[in-house]
Amino acid sequence: MITEIKRHLLSFLLLFFGLLIALLVFFYFSYDPHYQRRVIYGTAVFYFLWSLYHHYQKGDLQFSLVVEYLLVALFAALLITGTLL
Amino acid sequence: MKILHRLHLLFLPHEKNNHRALLIQPGFIAILIALYLLNQSVLKSLSIIKPGILGYSSEITWSKVYELTNAERIKAGLTPLKYSPLLSKSATAKANDMFANNYWAHNSPQGKTPWDFFKAVNYQYSIAGENLAKDFYDTDSVMRAWMNSPTHRANIINPKYQEIGIGVVNGVLNGTETTLVVQHFGTPLNPAVSDASYPPGAVAEVPIPQVLASTQTIINPLTVSKVVSGIMFAVILIVLIVDAVITMRRKTFRIAGSSLGHISFLLIIFILLLFTRQGTLF
Repeated sequence: MITEIKRHLLSFLLLFFGLLIALLVFFYFSYDPHYQRRVIYGTAVFYFLWSLYHHYQKGDLQFSLVVEYLLVALFAALLITGTLL
Repeated sequence: MKILHRLHLLFLPHEKNNHRALLIQPGFIAILIALYLLNQSVLKSLSIIKPGILGYSSEITWSKVYELTNAERIKAGLTPLKYSPLLSKSATAKANDMFANNYWAHNSPQGKTPWDFFKAVNYQYSIAGENLAKDFYDTDSVMRAWMNSPTHRANIINPKYQEIGIGVVNGVLNGTETTLVVQHFGTPLNPAVSDASYPPGAVAEVPIPQVLASTQTIINPLTVSKVVSGIMFAVILIVLIVDAVITMRRKTFRIAGSSLGHISFLLIIFILLLFTRQGTLF
């Protein structure tokens, strides 16, 4: 896993930075679930776009991978927004 | 033995599942999404078929809302608000109106503004405000949410307000049993005719149509959604971590999404899930 990070350092730094920002923005809007829901959708879209960039850089971008990331992003976004009123 | 083998394929990478646990393959993630949507549909249908079966049990009391509001004002170096039975009447009327007309907003679908409720109880004001909250379990959470919201906080610690009235009413909104909390703030035009009093103990004798919260709830939809989501997230995360460790040890080459990417993303979302809170404000 560390080898993977080292090999694609910029890509993973971008991911970790993006997720950290999402975490902070989510807590900043702790008073309003409507904003929090938008933060979740934004994070899911960010993750999906990151996956395209990551696999494009790796040179193994395939349709099956696009579907996989799309489903993972959808899974996460749906499950958490169901708990926000 | 067959069951064990199937479980193995479901949770662990194996040559027969293309070296990837079935549970984290796109097809199974799609099934999990479908199951979750089914769960949400059942909850939604319940609220339509049997209104009131879903709900948020609440321990909110107007006296605690009043006490905590003034505690926040004192903390901010302001004078405490006087309790106004007139404003409590208007706040309770507002909550009842939201239940009766099934809406959740400052203005009703019929065009009634918060100020119409003030006028209906004959409260003449120079300045007034309204805070709303619903689906909270306890008063501390309501106050915390209001204080975290810049606009609601501005009402609570507004130095121009002199009086407050609070309505805490239970009912069924959009098929779900809930507690609505309404704060009405105001400064009377003519303080001489104001009905406000302080401290709050003095108003105990004033009959106010106040329905205190204490619901007999069967199913809390938020808890059900949170538990179902939490279990799904935890299972997927564990399977992903185990899968990453095994493929790393075996040095398996496969074309699949980045395990590290999936774990990082789902872990962050799982943390957010743990911190999603109850209730909404308006």
